[in-house]
Amino acid sequence: MSLAVTLKTLNREALYGLSIIVLVILLGIIVPIASPNDASGFVADPLAPPSINLPFGADHMGRDLFVRTFAAARLDIVLAVLGASVPIVVGTFIGVLTGAAKRKIAGALWDALINAITAFPEIVLVLAIITMIGGGWNGLLYAIWLSRWAQYARLARAKTLKLHESEFVQAAKVLGYSRIRIMARHIMPNVYSEAIAYALSDFVFIIVVIGGLSFLGMGVRPPTPEWGGMLAEGRIYLQTTPRLVLFPGAILSLTAIGVALFAQGLARHRKEVVR
Amino acid sequence: MNNTLLECRDITVRFGRGSEAFDAVSDASVKVVENEAIGIVGESGSGKTTLARVLVGLQTPDQGDVLLENKFLDSGEHTEGISQSDRWKVQMVFQDPYSSLNPMLAGKNAVAEAIQVWTRCSKSKAMNEAIELLGDVGIPPDQASQLPGKLSGGQRQRVSVARALAPRPKVLIADEPTSSIDQSAQAQLLNLLRRLQEERKLAIIFISHDLNLIRYLTSRVYVMQKGDIVEHGPTERVFLTPSHPYTQTLIQSIPGSKSDTIQIIGNSEV
Amino acid sequence: MIDDGPEPLPPLLSVNKLSVSFRVGSGLNLPVIDTADFDLEAQGSLGLVGESGSGKTMLCRALIGTLARHGAVINGGSVSFAGKPITNLGESEWRKLRGHQIGYVPQSSMAGLNPILTIKSQLSEVVKDSIGGSEFDVRREVLELLERVRIPRPTAVMRSRPHQLSGGMRQRVIIAAAIAQRPKLLIADEPTTALDVTVQSEILALINELREELGMALLLVSHDLAVIEEMCSLMAVMYAGATVEVGPTEDLISSPNHPYTRALNTSRTDRARPGEVLESIPGDAVSVGHWPNGCRFWPRCPIAEQDCQDGLQPDLLAIQQRASACIHSDRMGVAA
Repeated sequence: MSLAVTLKTLNREALYGLSIIVLVILLGIIVPIASPNDASGFVADPLAPPSINLPFGADHMGRDLFVRTFAAARLDIVLAVLGASVPIVVGTFIGVLTGAAKRKIAGALWDALINAITAFPEIVLVLAIITMIGGGWNGLLYAIWLSRWAQYARLARAKTLKLHESEFVQAAKVLGYSRIRIMARHIMPNVYSEAIAYALSDFVFIIVVIGGLSFLGMGVRPPTPEWGGMLAEGRIYLQTTPRLVLFPGAILSLTAIGVALFAQGLARHRKEVVR
Repeated sequence: MNNTLLECRDITVRFGRGSEAFDAVSDASVKVVENEAIGIVGESGSGKTTLARVLVGLQTPDQGDVLLENKFLDSGEHTEGISQSDRWKVQMVFQDPYSSLNPMLAGKNAVAEAIQVWTRCSKSKAMNEAIELLGDVGIPPDQASQLPGKLSGGQRQRVSVARALAPRPKVLIADEPTSSIDQSAQAQLLNLLRRLQEERKLAIIFISHDLNLIRYLTSRVYVMQKGDIVEHGPTERVFLTPSHPYTQTLIQSIPGSKSDTIQIIGNSEV
Repeated sequence: MIDDGPEPLPPLLSVNKLSVSFRVGSGLNLPVIDTADFDLEAQGSLGLVGESGSGKTMLCRALIGTLARHGAVINGGSVSFAGKPITNLGESEWRKLRGHQIGYVPQSSMAGLNPILTIKSQLSEVVKDSIGGSEFDVRREVLELLERVRIPRPTAVMRSRPHQLSGGMRQRVIIAAAIAQRPKLLIADEPTTALDVTVQSEILALINELREELGMALLLVSHDLAVIEEMCSLMAVMYAGATVEVGPTEDLISSPNHPYTRALNTSRTDRARPGEVLESIPGDAVSVGHWPNGCRFWPRCPIAEQDCQDGLQPDLLAIQQRASACIHSDRMGVAA
């Protein structure tokens, strides 16, 4: 189904969500470029109130909160996209391969491994891995990837096993298609189309995880602008200057809502349009 | 002269293990010759679908052999396009139109793929042939470009037929092809299958629980009950003078059939 | 005119120009029935024939008051049962009708049964509702019910759960629940479609026996003309949400007055001669929301003319005991 057709037939929910996401991304790109102020530059008195030059005011170090918030948007969104998509793509791929495993032993071993990993609460796993390999934005990503691929592998493996019994895969076998062809053209696309549906709701979760971990000091390090970090820094000033927390928090929430709306709308669209 | 196209001898298929094991198919032998339409009829649990799967190579029997054109076949793997066995000569149309087509492939793509795999021709040539083949089964080009989700049950079954015909098989096995579609689509599909059989000299094996269908379509029939073939012979003969009690029960259960069945009690006709 | 006797009783079930639509948000309606018309006398039998998209399932739901939970409403016409309108009843009034006066046998026997409870507890619920009484009375009544539907070894079945029974047995249990309160009307929606043919004939025979014993009227929905021929004296044919022909089954089968009815007859495999080409209906069944203008059957009709393509779906035109919605039914005898 072509992109243009899909866009035209999207329902309102999905369109609102998509608009929000696009808006935030655009602002994330434009604001840091258009503004005379640098995201980490000291341009005013600390905690200076909002004005024409400083739409969100200055933060506790005298940096432009407005530019910082949207510079952070860039980083957070990119991290969230990578954090959500890589486990899905890689995990699903592994799942399909193991689902096609001929010998029972191989399948059983994979099952054991996957179950072992998914038995841990994700956050615990992420924290453990970060502690081992160090933080920063790359440590964060690796930790997220390693702790999340297994659940997709499990879903993909289950779906693959089920698809093997479906009549169109049986038909492909009767038609003499090679195992590779069956896996690549008939199984993978169907498994991925289901997995992608999870991608969007995961995205919301990842944004929050990244923000949370950075808030705890384990993710992105200051002075790099990042929502979680900004929330952590501004926490002390919550009583006196709440906008330090409110503005980044609001944009973070807005992004999460946008993605959630889009995901929901897309899911409904898939259900109604594709039988 | 033996012009048997497809044959299976003494097929037994066992499912389950230990005390739970049972024979889904037991000592079944079926054969079909060129240009013949035969039926395998039975209720649920009769083993007819399992037997069909053995014939088409999806199920390995625990005992017995399958022969294609008098050569022994095994259900081993074969490399795409270069078959070590001639398995491709036997194709199948499945029962459920809603799961027998890849939901992400448009009809023409599914058929073109089959053509390309078996003739190794260019993509565009395969696509042209696919569209032609689909037209032959009553699917015009605009429907051929749709995803299965947009087609009706009857249309999907016809796409399935086109796909099954792409490798130019000699035997077509139709497993309850009309069970899940409306009566009007059913008639269309059956007419199509009969026409294709005549035109391409196909042998067709109909698997069905619908006795009327079998009587209308086939010249010979095998009746299965709980894994055994309890009776077989020319369709008319089996219908008018069934010799096995199960066949008799089956025929008497057809709604409205009591008027035109002759019952045999003992050896005399009543 | 002089009355020479008491007023004739109204039909037990009367469906008059009934329209049903799906509510699809913000005032939009998707019609799924437009219009259905037929009458069923007390103790009579009527077969409702139609393919997918005909609206027959929705019609059943309208007749037992479960439209709301499927997002549909009656938006035209009326239905009356035993002389009283049942088009606008509330849920509490429907509960008095369902089971008591109108029994319902759904297509899927698993859908009508709770997988966790034993047969005994499920049937006891139904029985308690009507006769009350002690544990002992209820149990005895349940046993009698099971025997009435000819279930072998009823005491063992009582202790079982639905998945432990065969499809045919489950269907008998459903029928037992449906007739427990001796309803005047039994609505059976494709009751044997999911069953083997040997079981099917037993269940149909059972339904016939129960009809006679309890004096029930039967509304049987089926796609199988042979079944309707065997079970129902009257037949109503539905296409794309409309009743296109109604009348005695025998007549509709031997001399149909509507091209669709005729096409259903000629595409039957049980009446076809082996080797003969089946006269099939070209095109595909029209689905909800895609009804053409004029007579909804015209795109597939062998005798369609210009005036068939405009305006609305024609009304049923009654001639003696039969009615047909074809404005050219006089040509039916002529068409080859």
